[in-house]
Amino acid sequence: MRLNYVTRVAQKEILSTWRDRRAIISNLLIPLLILPLVMLGLPLIIGGLFQREQSTITELAVSGLEFMPEALQEAIEKENLQLVSVADPLSALQAGAFDLGLIVPAEFKDALANNDTPELELLLKPGSLKSSFNASKLERAVAVFKDALIAERLQGLGLSTGLLSPFEVTQVNASSPAERSSGQLSWLIPFLIAIWTLSGGQMAAIDATAGEKERGTLEALLVSPVRRSEVVLGKFLATLLFGLSAAIMAIIGYVLASSSVRYVANTNLGADAAVITELLGNAMSVGAGAIVLLVMSALLLAGLMAALLISITMFARSFKEAQSYVAPLSMIMILPAVGLQFADLLSLGWLFYTVPILNALLIMDDIVKGSMTLTNLLVCWGCLLGWIIVLLVFAQRSFSREDVIFRS
Amino acid sequence: MIEVTNLTKHFSGFTAVNALSFQVHTGEVFGLLGPNGAGKTTTLRVLATLLKPDSGTASVAGHDVTKHPETVRNLIGVVNGGMGLYERLTGTEILEYFGSLYGMRKQAVRTRVKALDALLGLGDALTKPAGSFSTGMRQKITIARAVLHEPPVLFFDEATNGLDIIARRAVLEFVKHYAAAGNTIIYSTHVLSEITQLSERVGILYRGELLTQGHPQDVLLQTGTRTLDDAFFTLVSQHDKRHITS
Repeated sequence: MRLNYVTRVAQKEILSTWRDRRAIISNLLIPLLILPLVMLGLPLIIGGLFQREQSTITELAVSGLEFMPEALQEAIEKENLQLVSVADPLSALQAGAFDLGLIVPAEFKDALANNDTPELELLLKPGSLKSSFNASKLERAVAVFKDALIAERLQGLGLSTGLLSPFEVTQVNASSPAERSSGQLSWLIPFLIAIWTLSGGQMAAIDATAGEKERGTLEALLVSPVRRSEVVLGKFLATLLFGLSAAIMAIIGYVLASSSVRYVANTNLGADAAVITELLGNAMSVGAGAIVLLVMSALLLAGLMAALLISITMFARSFKEAQSYVAPLSMIMILPAVGLQFADLLSLGWLFYTVPILNALLIMDDIVKGSMTLTNLLVCWGCLLGWIIVLLVFAQRSFSREDVIFRS
Repeated sequence: MIEVTNLTKHFSGFTAVNALSFQVHTGEVFGLLGPNGAGKTTTLRVLATLLKPDSGTASVAGHDVTKHPETVRNLIGVVNGGMGLYERLTGTEILEYFGSLYGMRKQAVRTRVKALDALLGLGDALTKPAGSFSTGMRQKITIARAVLHEPPVLFFDEATNGLDIIARRAVLEFVKHYAAAGNTIIYSTHVLSEITQLSERVGILYRGELLTQGHPQDVLLQTGTRTLDDAFFTLVSQHDKRHITS
C-alpha cells in the first residue's frame, strides 16, 4: 500500500466532488442550518402561536348563561374567553362558528346552593389544537371557581382547606446537568449526525464508483500503475471526508443553536414558552470533552458509512442505479434512531453497543446526555473500527472482480 | 514486443476469445480488424491487465500481463472510444492527476503537457472543465492522458468511434506520428480504411478467433481478393462454412 497514491486518488475525488455545487449545499449549508432551525425556530414558532392564542379573546358558546354563577363568569372572562349565549352550542360547534361550548343546566345555581353536584357539559373538538387549547383555559377557570366554592363550603363547616390535602408531594429533578439540559428530543442530535454522515458521503461515493463506470473513466484509472487497494482506500477517504464534514457542520449547528436557544427564548417568548423550549432542549450545552467525543464518534460512523457506501455503490453501473441501492440505507438509519427514543425503557447492556449504526447512535445519545460509560464507548468504537475494516476488505475484493468492474 | 499465445477468455459460458495467438514487433502498428463482438476489446483488456485470461499467455516487452501487471501498466497507454473524462476537472488537472499516478513529478508533467499541446493542439481544453469539451477535444485529452508517460506500447480500441472527420483524421495522424517514433501500437477497429492507412500488419478477428494475420498485401494474396473488404468477407464466409459443416 503506497500512501502517496492513496492521497492522490483521494485528492482528485475531493476536488471533483467539491466542484459540484450540490455538494456544498448538501454537505455544508443544510447540516449547518437544520439544527438551529429546529432548535430555535420550533420553540419560537410554536411558542409564539401559543402566546398569541393565550392573549386572543375567544368566543365561548354557552347555553344557560343566565344560570351561570357570576364568580364563574368572571373566572372564565379572566382567561380571555368571551361568553356568547347560544341556544344550541353543539350545532354551533359543528357548524364551525365556535371552537368551544358550555352547557349550563337550569338547576345549576340551586343545586350548588343545596350542596348537590350538578354537571356542566364542556363541548370541544379533540382533533383541533385550537379547541383543545381553549378548553384548557376554560378548565382552568372552572377549577378556580371550584376551589373557591370548596373553600367557602369548608369554612361554612368550620373546617380548614388543608383537610382535603393532608400532605404534598414535591418532584425533584435528579437528572445530571447534561441530562437535564438535553431535553426530550436529545436523540435528534445523534440521529441528525448519522443522517449527515450518510447523505454527506453519498454523493462522493457514487461519483467515485458508479460515476466512474458511467463516465468511462474507470478503465483509464485501472490501466494506470495505481493498485486497486489504493483506489478503494482513496475513494473511501474522500467519501469519509464529505460525510464527516457534513456531520461536523451538523455539530457546529447544534453548538450554535444550543448556546443561543436560551437567549432567544428568554428574549422573545418569556416565561410562557419555557415548557416548550425545555422539551426541545432549551438549555442544551455540552462541554469541550463531549464535543471531542462526539466528533470522534461521528468520524467512526462516517468511516462506517463511507465503507458501506463504497462497498454497495461499486456494484452499480450508473449514478441512478447506485442511488436506488443507497436509498434503503436511510431507512436503516431511521429505525434505530426511532428506537433510540425508547432506549430508557430497555436495560441496555454493552451488547447493544456492538450493533453497527445503533451503537454509534446510542453512544452519541449518551454523550449528549452525559450518561456515557467508558466500557460502552470502547466497545462501540472498537466494533465500528472492526466493521470498517471488514467492509473495506470486502470492497477491495469486489473491486478486483472483473464482473464488478465491467458489469454491463 | 507483444506476444499473445493461445489466449482464451470466457464470460459466463460465452467464449469471447478462443486460442488467440499473434505477435507484434517493436515499432510496428498492428491492426486488429473485426466486427463488434469479435473479441478485440477483450484481447486488449487482457493485454492492458484489466482482465485475466482463462488460459494461454500474453506478455508486453517480455513481462507477463498476469504475473507483472504493474510493470506492464507502466509500459502501456490505452485509448478507447468509450473512455470518458472527469467532467468537473480541467484538461490540465486531468493530466496532472494521471501524471502523478504514473509517478511523474509536477514539472515533468508540465513539460510533457506543453509538448503534447504543441503536437495535438490541446488549446482551451487545458483550462476548461472537461464537461464543456467538444468530442474532438475530449479525444485529444484522452490521447494526451494515454501517452503522458511516453509508453513504448499503445493500444487504440475503436478510438475514432463517434468522431467527426476532422477529429478522426487527427487521431490517425497521431497514430502515424507515435509509431514513427519507434513505438509499438495495436490499433483495433472495425473500419477497414483505417487499417489500410495505418497498419503494416493486420489480424482479422471474428467470433473470438483470429482468421488470419500478416501484411495486408499477403492477406489479399491469401484470399485471392483485391480489397481488404473482400478479404474480410471471404474469410468470414469460409469460417462460417467450416462451423456449419463441423
